[in-house]
Amino acid sequence: MTAPAGQSAAAGERGAAGAAAAAPPAAAVRGVRKVFGKTVAVDGIDLEVPSGAVLGMLGPNGSGKTTLIRMLLGLTRPTEGSAELLGHPVPDATEQALPHVGALVEGPGFHPFLSGRENLRRVAATEPLLASAQIGDAVGTALERVGLSDAADRRFRGYSLGMKQRLGLAAALLVPRKLVVLDEPTNGLDPAGTRDVRRIVAELHAGGATVLVSSHLLAEVEATCTHVAVLQTGTLVAAGELSVLLEAGTGGLVVSTPDVDLALEALRGVGATAFAEGDGVVVADGGPPTPEVVALLVRAGVAVYEARRRRARLEELFARLTGEET
Amino acid sequence: MTASLVETGTTPHRGSAPMGRLLGAELRWVLRRPRTLVMLGLFALVPILIAIGVVVADRGGNGLIGAIAGNGLVLPVVAMTLMLALLLPLAVGMAAADAIAGEAAHGTLRGLLLAPVGRGRLVVMKAFGVLVVTVVATLVVAVVGVVAGLVVVGGADGTLVTLSGTTLGFGEAMGRVGIAALWTVGQLAAVGAIALAISAFTEHPLVVLASVLGGLIVFGVLGAIPALDWLAPYLLTTGFSAGADVLRDPMSWGDIGGSTLRALCYIAIGGGITTSRMLTRDA
Repeated sequence: MTAPAGQSAAAGERGAAGAAAAAPPAAAVRGVRKVFGKTVAVDGIDLEVPSGAVLGMLGPNGSGKTTLIRMLLGLTRPTEGSAELLGHPVPDATEQALPHVGALVEGPGFHPFLSGRENLRRVAATEPLLASAQIGDAVGTALERVGLSDAADRRFRGYSLGMKQRLGLAAALLVPRKLVVLDEPTNGLDPAGTRDVRRIVAELHAGGATVLVSSHLLAEVEATCTHVAVLQTGTLVAAGELSVLLEAGTGGLVVSTPDVDLALEALRGVGATAFAEGDGVVVADGGPPTPEVVALLVRAGVAVYEARRRRARLEELFARLTGEET
Repeated sequence: MTASLVETGTTPHRGSAPMGRLLGAELRWVLRRPRTLVMLGLFALVPILIAIGVVVADRGGNGLIGAIAGNGLVLPVVAMTLMLALLLPLAVGMAAADAIAGEAAHGTLRGLLLAPVGRGRLVVMKAFGVLVVTVVATLVVAVVGVVAGLVVVGGADGTLVTLSGTTLGFGEAMGRVGIAALWTVGQLAAVGAIALAISAFTEHPLVVLASVLGGLIVFGVLGAIPALDWLAPYLLTTGFSAGADVLRDPMSWGDIGGSTLRALCYIAIGGGITTSRMLTRDA
């Protein structure tokens, strides 16, 4: 996987809002609402997926994640509002965008009587961007990428849940995509499979593709995503860059050291707010910048084992946002 | 347009995969499905069983089956006519049920729409698949019927004695069998079009199958009620017995033409409903 360096650097830079904001969003929904009978599945959501971002969509079961994705892909029409995919209005011009979009929505769908490879060949035959001569190679590469080469010629019927999920992932990766949408990609996967998904998402991101992942595994999202959107009962409760959202909660610089008293003395000497906590001290935000704090401590003869910015865990953030206190 | 050509680099830029490739994929899918193959195998047995039954009974009964005795080339026409009542529509209904409702049930319809296969093209692709099953099923019955007729029943030195009492040579007899097969395909295509329309509305293949069989039975009952005579011209099943007309000499085209016209109307209605539904269907 060779990445266009400029693109990946721009996309990978957290907090560099300029680079992401300049490009049109890879996907966007504006005021979408979806009502099934009396149930309001999605209730007026505005969301943009910045080009090049890895956006993790979080939310409890039934919060409207999948419905939102289905509306974005033109699989179901919004009751109100509009959606846009790679600059094309959905659902009127969805077909212009879809060749560049890979998707795994609501679990992998395949025919049980065909092998994994045959199933994938059938999907490949319908891919507009794949020349007929390339189908065999594309299928082989995709199977290898998801680690399914050995089981490729077994019937789909006999696949384990994890293997089915991997095959679904392979179908989304058959051709190079501008946008990849993965709905609960780690469902049923073992730890190795989860790691593979993480690697694949990272590869896509490095290659400049935009990725939209919905997941209930917060650790996964925290490890792979640049942006987060949190849904609850059909509404968007938070959206933005992961780092910004996490910093917004608690802050401070945590310094691990055995010389707590010495450190506090030195810090208070320069007017920084600091207090002892655990195996070290916490320096509150608003004082000198981090490098100066560290330099100061070292000069004062404090043994610094570790210094890191304190960030809220995504789990805490999620619990706070959705009101699901643990 | 130019910009997107540059963007996609060497890959061809188009909105949908070539139609030929889509039809090829559908053909492979339809013919690799185990249930299709099992069904075709069982269908091949029907003409053979009729042939054996006729030979073992060794007496000229009445009706069409009686006409087979010692007159083997009547067998394929009789087999097609008999199977048109229920077995062949069952095969077509099954193919149509799998075509859309079955794909929806497996979650693969979503994949086709996301590829994307255009929604209009999807209808063409699915109708093609159902037509393939229709043609193959009919051909299996016709071909096995001819072979079983000649080998098991035999008689009449490869000629066909018509219901009118005249004798047709082998070539002309084959022509008559061909006309009967073509006409059967037309009637079945009508069943298939309606079944596909039902399939477009559900994700339960059984609903399609039940509707097809239930519909045929209801049509049969309605057609048998004298007070509902006026309904007969609109019922597809009214023309189902016209196939035997190819066994007359000279051939009588009236019922064959009329029932074919009726089938075309059903195909137009079924095709229209399927298309309009598929253009907006959620997946």
